[in-house]
Amino acid sequence: MRAGHDMLHLTVHLMRDDLPSAGLALAEIGAFVPDNRPLRMEQMPEVPGASFRDRMRHARSYLDRLESLQADLGIPAVEGEGDPFLVLRRAQLVEVDNWLADAWKHCAPTEARLHDIQEQVSELEQLEKSLSDFADLDVDLSHLQGRNEYLDLRIGTVPAANVERLREALSLEHYLIVRVLGRGETVRVAIAGLRQEQAPLGNILAAAGFQPLEIPAAFRESPEKVRQMLQRSRAAIETLHGQMQKHLADWVDSNRGELGRARRLLDAAEPYVELGDSARAQGAVAILQGWLPAGALTEAEQLLKGQLQQPFVMDTRRPRPDERHLVPVPVARSLLLKPFAILMQQYGVPRFGEFDPTILFAVTFAAMFGMMFGDVGHGLVFVAVGIALRHKLKDFTTLFIIAGSMATLFGFLYGSIFGVEHWLHPLWMSPMSDPMYMLTLAFGWGVAFLSLGSFIAIYNRLVVGDLIGALFDPGGVFSLVMYYALLGGMIVLIQDGSWPWGATVLIVLTLGLLMAYQWRELEAPFGERLLTVIIETFEIVNGYVSGSLSFLRVAAFSLNHVALSVAVFTLADMMDGAGYWAMVVGGNIFIIVLEGLIVSIQTLRLEYYEGFSRYFYADGTRYTPLRTRTRFTPDKSSTRLRNEASS
Amino acid sequence: MSRVAEQAYLRTRLAILNARRRRAPQLQALMELDNDELAAEFGLEPGQLDENALDLFEQSQLQTWLNELNSLLRPLNGADRAVLVQWARRYEVLNLKALVRGKLSGLSRSEIESSLFVLPGFLHLDHEPLLNTDDVMDLLRRLKDTPYRELGRMAMRRFAEQQDPFLLDASLDQQFYSGLSNCVARLSEPDRTAMRNLVGRMVDRHNLIWLLRYRHNYQLQPAEVLYLSISGGLQLTREHLRQILQMPTLVESLERLPPGMQRLIGNSANLVEIRDALVNDLQHQAELSLRSTQSVLTSVFAYLLLRYYEIKTTNAIVQARFTRLPDELLRDALFGDTLTVSEEVA
Repeated sequence: MRAGHDMLHLTVHLMRDDLPSAGLALAEIGAFVPDNRPLRMEQMPEVPGASFRDRMRHARSYLDRLESLQADLGIPAVEGEGDPFLVLRRAQLVEVDNWLADAWKHCAPTEARLHDIQEQVSELEQLEKSLSDFADLDVDLSHLQGRNEYLDLRIGTVPAANVERLREALSLEHYLIVRVLGRGETVRVAIAGLRQEQAPLGNILAAAGFQPLEIPAAFRESPEKVRQMLQRSRAAIETLHGQMQKHLADWVDSNRGELGRARRLLDAAEPYVELGDSARAQGAVAILQGWLPAGALTEAEQLLKGQLQQPFVMDTRRPRPDERHLVPVPVARSLLLKPFAILMQQYGVPRFGEFDPTILFAVTFAAMFGMMFGDVGHGLVFVAVGIALRHKLKDFTTLFIIAGSMATLFGFLYGSIFGVEHWLHPLWMSPMSDPMYMLTLAFGWGVAFLSLGSFIAIYNRLVVGDLIGALFDPGGVFSLVMYYALLGGMIVLIQDGSWPWGATVLIVLTLGLLMAYQWRELEAPFGERLLTVIIETFEIVNGYVSGSLSFLRVAAFSLNHVALSVAVFTLADMMDGAGYWAMVVGGNIFIIVLEGLIVSIQTLRLEYYEGFSRYFYADGTRYTPLRTRTRFTPDKSSTRLRNEASS
Repeated sequence: MSRVAEQAYLRTRLAILNARRRRAPQLQALMELDNDELAAEFGLEPGQLDENALDLFEQSQLQTWLNELNSLLRPLNGADRAVLVQWARRYEVLNLKALVRGKLSGLSRSEIESSLFVLPGFLHLDHEPLLNTDDVMDLLRRLKDTPYRELGRMAMRRFAEQQDPFLLDASLDQQFYSGLSNCVARLSEPDRTAMRNLVGRMVDRHNLIWLLRYRHNYQLQPAEVLYLSISGGLQLTREHLRQILQMPTLVESLERLPPGMQRLIGNSANLVEIRDALVNDLQHQAELSLRSTQSVLTSVFAYLLLRYYEIKTTNAIVQARFTRLPDELLRDALFGDTLTVSEEVA
């Protein structure tokens, strides 16, 4: 349950020439994260491969541009071909880079022409639209072209965001935007004004990104002729596009071998480049340092033994306390926990050694969703939707299935199916049968949830040796004692009608300690210090009280679910036959969509604000291991180890 | 984080950060130090103040500013967060300008790269693929997947006729300040009014300086200058801008300024002096906002603004030491009026 509990700091002592192979071998495992700190700068002052890295980036940028151009023209990228090259020597890199530079020089004009064609197509589309747009304009259309003695009339396109500013600026030159047509990022405009000796609009229009539409001579003629002319232009552009596509496809075919080889070589060299400052050297010897899960250590050793030409030594150690925030923390990758891990990462990454909240989050999320949305029918619909949309939902499919299953389970407990409360006998009770009991239970659940959050917060601070934080921080021991005293006092007051003096003593004592601590910690002028201490202490008390009350929504939504169902059936009963069933089905869909969404958001809110914010440092380092774009070594046990390492 | 907790967090953070800020007297004291003492003040080894170290120093200063921004952004969400992120986007704009100028001047990749700021993760312009372009047209084409797509298209058409980055620079500034004004407009009260007091002054300063420059130095047409100006000023309304633009001389233009602005710039008709007066006013307002505004967001923004000017001044002092600029010249340039204003505030 401790985040990144098996992460080790790894240092590989090796010969400088073996660094590229080591980088590739470690990238093949997909579990090694380079550590770029200058840890042994004095013994190993050099960072090898700086010029190699620049050259590599250069070559990769050409390859990326070539592949992007192929994608734009719908030509599939060439897969890496040729023998597996584990090490890209400098001479090979120079050769590949030069070849790619020449290749790009050959293809760059195609890209520029493609861009021009795209502009032409867009212009043509605008012109086609303009045909109908300006058909009802109350001017002689022949004035839209050629020179007119008095009127300066222009049509063209302009980014929609610029229209108002252009209108204002044109008014200074006594021009008007007489019509704005179309929607989206670009609109068509007609600009009119008195023709002046020195046409002043050029720069303003250029600044506004105005693109004039060339009005063909045929505009005067019949619409049919114009349409035919535009179709011919479109066909000519399409032919040109086809020719370019063929030209590039032919070039790709005739250079397939070289392209594939270049890609494979660059893919193989990439991990070495990605090593960055984690690889250091002095003369012929080098070190490579990073983080590795203990589970991947054996495979790393085997791969390095297989790939390195010369001897090497591996040193591992546990992370030091001062490195806690630097250790990358893998998140859960199992099918069940992955959606929860993704949602947790939206909040933050756990710090190494702190309590990993993924499982707790998954369990409490599912439980609260079920409590608020308990209905056998609706829950099963959730499960069915999750399964049906699994290709779109991907990792979130299991979230739908788990949430739906819990809703189904609570549906049986509440005796509710598609909002009908009398078809099933509740295994426990219907929420509506005793709302006060439900609210009390929800409050109790909240107290337990907040207490658990505080215990974890205390644990997290003790783990990092922060005893003061464990005692005084919000969610620490003294805050918790204050909360329990407040809670105990309230319970006694409700039961016996009198406030216990013991609770008062505890509250005053803990609040005093918390305020004294904050006063000591804060550096600010007296007034601001006083204000901040009062506000922060108030916030601790307020946080617990409002946090506990927040959980009443768990009961409120279970009641709301029943109330909505009652409303749907009441409305349905007012109709006959098809109307009844339309109301029942429509109402249930409404409940599933609307309430499902609201309950999900509310549950997430409780988890984030009442849970994570109390105990989760969330400032850990994301686990982004070195990986290869393609596999180079024969697949052995690496996949299994990779999964183990990441889980 | 609740609103109360957010405010407490930000006020506490600001109190701590603000206490560390160097005021004008401390900045002046920096000028009294010799090179080695200055290096020691910023944690550099004696004699290490070379050109390379200067670049690193400026980067580290920016990094400090961005780290502070990051820590202040932490509790903020939605429109509050967006306005600060937009403010940080100025470095994205500066990078883009440096890339275009570098490509136009035919500088090497490493030369251009050395002039770029390393941006934090919350800014989205990835300069790596832009660095790897053949020329300025290739660079502009690659803006298609960025928020600057439309500017790239427009600049391509323009560059096909004339390779002058002026219009692109002006449009980038316009996009940046308009974005900032739009972010302010989306805030709720009391943040909106308090933020508008600062951002509106920034827009006024930018509008006035560039408007006078475009109109009277570059002789651009009034309509083009009006198009390039930014909405959302505090004192300079669009009507003021129209009137100023239609005046044939600089002096007559200045006579059309609103009275509040005329008081600020006095009788000066020098653009540098006018700019300095407006910057001093902005800093003065920022100091007031930092101390007394109800809006925590505005206090944060004011702090970042003051820190930005502090870092700018610090960089100038270190740079001047390195280039052996005479003290008097630097003192006049940096503290001519600022000191007076800061002393008044203090």
